[in-house]
Amino acid sequence: MIGRVATLALAALLAGAVSGPALAEKGSAEKGLAQTVYAVSQEGGTVTPVAPSGAAIPVGKGPAQVAAGPDGRLYLAHSDTHTVSVVDGPSGAVLARLPFAGQPFGVAVAPDGRSLFVGDWSGARVVRLSTATGAVEGSVGVGRDPAGLVLDTRGLLYVADRESRQVSVVDTATMTRIATVPVGEGPFALALNPAQDRLYVACVRSGDLHAIDTATLTIVGRAALGGMPYGVAVSGDGARILVTNQQAGTLVVLDAALTPVATIPVGRYPEGVAVSGDRAYVANWFSDSVSVIDLPTLTETARLPVGEGPRGLAVLMSKEIP
Amino acid sequence: MRLVAPTVFLALFALATPVTPVLAHGPTPQKVDQSVTIAAKPEAVWKVVGTFAAIDTWHPDVARSEAVDGNAAGGRRKVTLKNGGTLDEGLDEMNDKTFTYSYRLSDADLKALPVSSYSATLTVTPDGDGSKVEWLGRFYRGDTGNEPPEELSDAAGKTAMNAYFGNGLKGLKAKVEGGKAK
Repeated sequence: MIGRVATLALAALLAGAVSGPALAEKGSAEKGLAQTVYAVSQEGGTVTPVAPSGAAIPVGKGPAQVAAGPDGRLYLAHSDTHTVSVVDGPSGAVLARLPFAGQPFGVAVAPDGRSLFVGDWSGARVVRLSTATGAVEGSVGVGRDPAGLVLDTRGLLYVADRESRQVSVVDTATMTRIATVPVGEGPFALALNPAQDRLYVACVRSGDLHAIDTATLTIVGRAALGGMPYGVAVSGDGARILVTNQQAGTLVVLDAALTPVATIPVGRYPEGVAVSGDRAYVANWFSDSVSVIDLPTLTETARLPVGEGPRGLAVLMSKEIP
Repeated sequence: MRLVAPTVFLALFALATPVTPVLAHGPTPQKVDQSVTIAAKPEAVWKVVGTFAAIDTWHPDVARSEAVDGNAAGGRRKVTLKNGGTLDEGLDEMNDKTFTYSYRLSDADLKALPVSSYSATLTVTPDGDGSKVEWLGRFYRGDTGNEPPEELSDAAGKTAMNAYFGNGLKGLKAKVEGGKAK
């Protein structure tokens, strides 16, 4: 077992040494970009900084999903109260509550921080809002029950259409849907690898993970995991795909060929997962905690208490205060 | 990246077949968590509770239960409640060694329980000389829209799920400790 872990760690190092994004990330870290990881608790109505850890921030009823902007801001979808709240991460201040004519769920922020994309769960559409004013800038129809939203640097938005068994691909410049990619049953979470040539799709009901080639928008890999894969993230070097298995209470770690390399027990009903540096963070929805996973050794090193019902995680990049 | 084109094509083909009622998962999951202590060894409790489809032998709200495809992952039970509703549930995991199983609802029936979907886990652990049985789950209210009617709200779902799990564990305790039918 020790030998195996050592090999995996070495593999990760080697992959990191040849991977562009990993080097770029290392470079940014040297330039003083600090990362803060936040967990959003839907029942508790809080956002908790978990790394570095801090006090829970009350943000209002029922924040379901979260996205981090480029300017220290967190955008939270409050599904049952028709609002999107804007929170300044470092100070914990709620800056704005944007009204949303629908049932907001998935959120993504444009790289320049000017626009916000919000999935309307019961409205089968994605709405583009101005982050400054909350004004609606556009809207596009997608499949039923849009869940996870991910935006790439080309301006393509990927939407997990949970009840339509597909990923919708939206060109955000024109707000038109340019493609749909059929996947398994109940697609919920999405994650791009750092090179952005792969999109990973976790399907809750069919219990599998799909890999989409973002150049051709076709499926190029599938891993049957069983249970309920509810969250997905990719390590900084692109070599590890991390999938929470909600029903089993585990984090499944796959290599880039989608071969499982480890299964790590976490809390009950794990959902969101995020990566910051060489650590992964898992929101344990039922256990009201966040598991900290050391990626080189693939072990859980801590379990931090957070507000009730944590689901989403976000990583804020900010300049280190000298 | 492994190429799995043939599998994918087959899968796409299968997906093209129309499939009837979809479960609506709303955006606000709710917890249900009930437990009971039983004056019997976990082995004895598991003998009663460990056969997934035999829920009709211990749950007082259940009229009958039918096994489909065995007592392992992939197996199912079709439960008919005394209120006339039915629950079609499938096993995700069955562990005879650690005395735990996990399952989920396949098709919602609001007459049975006012929820649109759920997954749940039942676990038997040692507790002193006896056992503790924990039955927990995650569910979504019956109407997952923004303004659900009272009878399909989060609160209605919580009440119903807690009652269903709580009654079941009381029935299980009575069955194991009394050795008699529910």
